[in-house]
Amino acid sequence: MHIQELILRLQRFWADRGCLIGQPYDLEKGAGTMNPLTFFGAVGPKPWNVAYVEPSRRPVDGRYGENPFRLYKHLQMQVLLKPSPARVQDLYIESLEALGIDMRKHDLRFEEDNWEAPTLGAWGVGWQVMLDGMEISQFTYFQQVGGMDCRPVSAELTYGIERICMFLGGLDNIYDITWGEVKTDDGIYPVSYREVRQREEYELSAFSFEHADLAFHWQCFEAFEKEAWRLLKDLGHYLSAYEQALKMSHTFNVLHARGAVSTTERPGIIKRIRDLTCACARAYVERESALPGQEGKEVQA
Amino acid sequence: MKNLLLEIHCEEIPARFLEPLSEEFAAAFQAWMKESLGADLAVERFHSPRKLAWRVTGIPQRQPDQREVQVGPPQRMCLDEQGAPTQTGLKFAEKWGVPFDQVLFEQPAGKKEPVAVATLVKAGRPTLELLAEVLPRLVTALHVPKAMRWGHSSFEFVRPIRNVVALFGEDVVPFELDGVKAGRTTLGHRLFHLDHPGPVPVASPEAYEAALEGAGVVASFEVRRERLAKELDRLAAEAGGRVVADAELLSTLALIVEVPRIIAGSFPADFLDLPKEVLVTSLKEHQKAFCVEDAQGALLPCFLTAANRADDPEGFLKSGNEWVLRARLYDARFFYAEDRKEPLSARMEKLKHLTFQRELGSYFDKTQRMMALSEAIAGALTLDGTDGKLAAQYAKCDLVTLMVGEFPELQGIMGGEYLKREGAHEKVWKAVKEHYRPDASDAPIPGTPLGGVVALADKLDTVAGCFSVGIIPTGSKDPLALRRAGAGIVRILFENGWNLNPLRAAALALEAIGERATKPRAETLAALEAFFRDRVAYQIEQAGYAAPVRRAALAAGWTDLVDLKARCEALAAFGDDPRFASLGQSAKRISNILKDETPSEDLDATVLQAPEEKALAERLPWLESNPGHASLLAGLADLAGPLEAFFTAVMVKCEDPALRAARLSLLFRLRKAFLRIADFSQWQ
Repeated sequence: MHIQELILRLQRFWADRGCLIGQPYDLEKGAGTMNPLTFFGAVGPKPWNVAYVEPSRRPVDGRYGENPFRLYKHLQMQVLLKPSPARVQDLYIESLEALGIDMRKHDLRFEEDNWEAPTLGAWGVGWQVMLDGMEISQFTYFQQVGGMDCRPVSAELTYGIERICMFLGGLDNIYDITWGEVKTDDGIYPVSYREVRQREEYELSAFSFEHADLAFHWQCFEAFEKEAWRLLKDLGHYLSAYEQALKMSHTFNVLHARGAVSTTERPGIIKRIRDLTCACARAYVERESALPGQEGKEVQA
Repeated sequence: MKNLLLEIHCEEIPARFLEPLSEEFAAAFQAWMKESLGADLAVERFHSPRKLAWRVTGIPQRQPDQREVQVGPPQRMCLDEQGAPTQTGLKFAEKWGVPFDQVLFEQPAGKKEPVAVATLVKAGRPTLELLAEVLPRLVTALHVPKAMRWGHSSFEFVRPIRNVVALFGEDVVPFELDGVKAGRTTLGHRLFHLDHPGPVPVASPEAYEAALEGAGVVASFEVRRERLAKELDRLAAEAGGRVVADAELLSTLALIVEVPRIIAGSFPADFLDLPKEVLVTSLKEHQKAFCVEDAQGALLPCFLTAANRADDPEGFLKSGNEWVLRARLYDARFFYAEDRKEPLSARMEKLKHLTFQRELGSYFDKTQRMMALSEAIAGALTLDGTDGKLAAQYAKCDLVTLMVGEFPELQGIMGGEYLKREGAHEKVWKAVKEHYRPDASDAPIPGTPLGGVVALADKLDTVAGCFSVGIIPTGSKDPLALRRAGAGIVRILFENGWNLNPLRAAALALEAIGERATKPRAETLAALEAFFRDRVAYQIEQAGYAAPVRRAALAAGWTDLVDLKARCEALAAFGDDPRFASLGQSAKRISNILKDETPSEDLDATVLQAPEEKALAERLPWLESNPGHASLLAGLADLAGPLEAFFTAVMVKCEDPALRAARLSLLFRLRKAFLRIADFSQWQ
């Protein structure tokens, strides 16, 4: 299956099950959870279902486009369901069937895998979902986000798009995935993942392992932090402040890949980001609860 | 009598919690039955990835009647002179709701006169009613280590509860868990429900396993494990080898599948040039798969893992697992190749950035201390100090390799492997490889002397270092596993028969730590002394010596482990010679008499008068002649009688100061001779 077909089917599936279809947030980030649609969506009492694809950058996983299994940037399909439905596992399995995975022929297991995002003050419990021995999704019941207890609890499903695509196609190399087909007056041209992404993998790996300027990035990190607190403290603007926190997070990941962060420094830096994201979450909740008509708002059955 | 079945069906419960939760509930319910029903009954346990279930056979249907005795005012106040009830008497009867003629007058022990006694009989309640109260209470009270909430609810459990079966005979026990009503139907394997929508009826508690088996689930963990083990053996033999055994992995597999089935797959043979440990670990950690080895212990290019379904209709399970494993092994080979691009020793610089502990510095700092300590220990044991220093220098380098980053459990093993490939001396690479041993109480200690030395240096630095900055294990809190490290130190010394005082060695380690210590040295040493004494006590307990032997031997000194072992051996050989009990009595008397005395060692034997004391004095030179543990013990046993006779005949603290001094000296020297082997006052 082409990667774009896989994404379209998942979006269709979740739209039909009552999810808003969101869009990737246009800032670098390490995980789909960081998209404000999930981060703020998981906080507070408001019912909220959303699904979207998010490119996730993990600089340390960069392999210069040479490793057939690992990427600097991969695609996550992210689904957030708040409150977590009683049939959430069944819904998830139905989504796999929508991809053409016939459960009668495969082995599906949910193995314990608890999730934690220290920069977001977030953790949850859940599973890695194993299909015939391969992890294809993360499944999490959020317990805390932004340092606050989640009430109600959301369920977060994260699909590893490339993984599932390789697996369905029996491919031994990510770059052999077909992205889709370009149809022109002259004919039909299948386009591979290699054509779309390999050069990008090479350059971004080289950037984060070799060329990123350390002094500049440290400077950025400090500047983003300062900017964020100014926005939050002076103006109460939690969304623009949160963007700065996302930039801090990615800058930190680049510095980490460059080997510029010692193990002793690491927890302190993570805490600086967490302090911000948690403050943003609190500011969001305060504003939401102050809005007229939010208290005890009835949900239509 | 009726049978009870309780099944809680959740979303997938983490494998590591199944057994503890199952046991905890069983124990709590058993205790409840004993207390509330007076029934001492066994609880059968079942658990599988989505189910915790328990069954009890033969529970009484009604709680026994409860008798309660109420004691009231004295008889004289309840009855008047004619024997008719008084106001007080009637009030007492009324208070407890019994007719006055059922009030008896009895004289309980300790009372001076008869008093009014009313016996109340509380009818026992139906068990079904009690179960409806106790089952949800006990489930809610379970200790869930990582509890979660879900949906809108504030109920906390290990994973969301989706179905509850509670049958008492044919009756449903009426209760709810977080809004889920207990009923008489369960859920089977997901695969089963694809073709059989709707719940699975459980006709009776006895029909539980059959009902589940019919729905694709094997209820019993033990049955699943046994079937998996058989399948593993069969498929390994088919592949021309045997399973690389791993009891822990087998149990894990039995906990993550509802139906036991092994998938056999293969991987490209060129991955076999990776070290065996890497393959075994990679297969286990990433894929929960077993390796297969031939008769010589060489791995075959195949693996065995569990699947949660009975068949593999289109071969997807096999090809899927093979696909993932290839990806994993590709990564392992990448790490292995990358790691060997530079020699292991080139990692020393990177260790500066790897924190060991905040106050104690980096692994580079630790390495420096381990080098000095290894050299000193090797020297003390008359081993080659240079080799010890070299092995210690390399010991921690693999912590910053990619392979150990991926598989922390390969620490040491990878360092040894890389050094071996670099052509390091066998003594050195083996020492590096073994220096984390023993990593569990039943794991072996390092097999080579140098490995033992580096292991001691590592553990001593950790223990003494942590103590010196105030990290001391208390109660159940021991985050850095210092007790395990301490036990390792003692085991290495004990099992090697190395004559090295652990306290002196720890003092050496403290010297290396120097200024980094934040606690006063004397305080740290005192804490270390108590700590090592406990570890030594534990060690000789593990070695199987009886309690009196351990107490008496330990009390006479424990820092020389070689001597301690010899003394324990000698004491144990005498077993329960009754004369030691008498000797123990006498030793206690001696201790009491000497408590506030400071007698001279010079014994003026000429002033002794009684034949009993002269007899003891005559034995002194031999006792003090260092006759060896076994014969000293024999001599002491023979002394039991004369000592008894001495205490019967002689009053030690007599009027005559010279005689008194001589007797005290005699006892003082006797005790000193005893203490060379044991403190018999601790023999009981």
